[in-house]
Amino acid sequence: MRVSSSDRQQQPVNMAGVGFRRWAQALAKGKGSGISALLSGCRAASGMTNNDLPGPYPKTPEEKAAAAKKYNLRVEDYEPYPDNGEGYGDYPKLEDRSQHERDPWYGWDHPDLRRNWGEPMHWHFDMYIRNRVDTSPSPVPWNTMCKQLFGFIGFMLFMFYVGEIMPSYQPVADKQYPYNNLYLERGGDPEKQPEEVKHYEI
Amino acid sequence: MADYREAPLATRPKTLDPNEYFNLSPLQRRAEEERGAIRANLKRQYQTQLNNPHRKELIEDPALTRWVHARANPYSYFKPTYKTSLLGVMFGVAPVVFLYYLFKTDRV
Repeated sequence: MRVSSSDRQQQPVNMAGVGFRRWAQALAKGKGSGISALLSGCRAASGMTNNDLPGPYPKTPEEKAAAAKKYNLRVEDYEPYPDNGEGYGDYPKLEDRSQHERDPWYGWDHPDLRRNWGEPMHWHFDMYIRNRVDTSPSPVPWNTMCKQLFGFIGFMLFMFYVGEIMPSYQPVADKQYPYNNLYLERGGDPEKQPEEVKHYEI
Repeated sequence: MADYREAPLATRPKTLDPNEYFNLSPLQRRAEEERGAIRANLKRQYQTQLNNPHRKELIEDPALTRWVHARANPYSYFKPTYKTSLLGVMFGVAPVVFLYYLFKTDRV
């Protein structure tokens, strides 16, 4: 409410202010809370209020109960994230289960997200949608899978490393060329007698 | 249904969990009833809005608004601690410094 024109007890009424106030009220009466709210300086109490938004970490049991009610959770079910400055505030800590694990046959309000209207969303909801991270149970325990995979990779890397240090191959010797080590082909003098090169022993 | 086995790579549905039906204390039953009551209330609100023939606008979901607000404003509840400072350095400072030196020293 504009203070200048709402104070009618002592001061004379500011006609321009009253006119403006009536115009603003007429605007506010219309449906929608956006532009008219901005212009008139007041808005409807329905819809989201500041109390409905997340707040700071709840310290007293009353704050905890109020926060649980705000998030549509039972007081016993409501567990905020620990208050260690990581930016969670009073947002509830829900189970780290992806939407893959939810019942596909239940009548969800939003079937693709497997979520009901008004249900508290996990902090990492956008990670747990059905296109992304899946926390469904694996065929073999997770630790077994990790051990098998990294064990195999580690073993192969180790064996390749050993093969670099200690190579093992068929025994080879220098290549033996005929005609006295190719004396003429290497540009030796045809008049001169080359020294005999023997590659055998009898 | 006694020999029901879950589908591979899927969790057992809650309705087929034997613990849901046997050995339940009154406290657990009361808890489930309360959760069901909250759920039913939300369903009622949603269905009322959904089936309202005079509705022209989108149905606003307060839980979604709260989630978006919470994810967009973590700094309001940020406190510098050892863990948060370490994370900040690890993700914010170290890559910049490391890449700076990499680009400066290792040139084609």
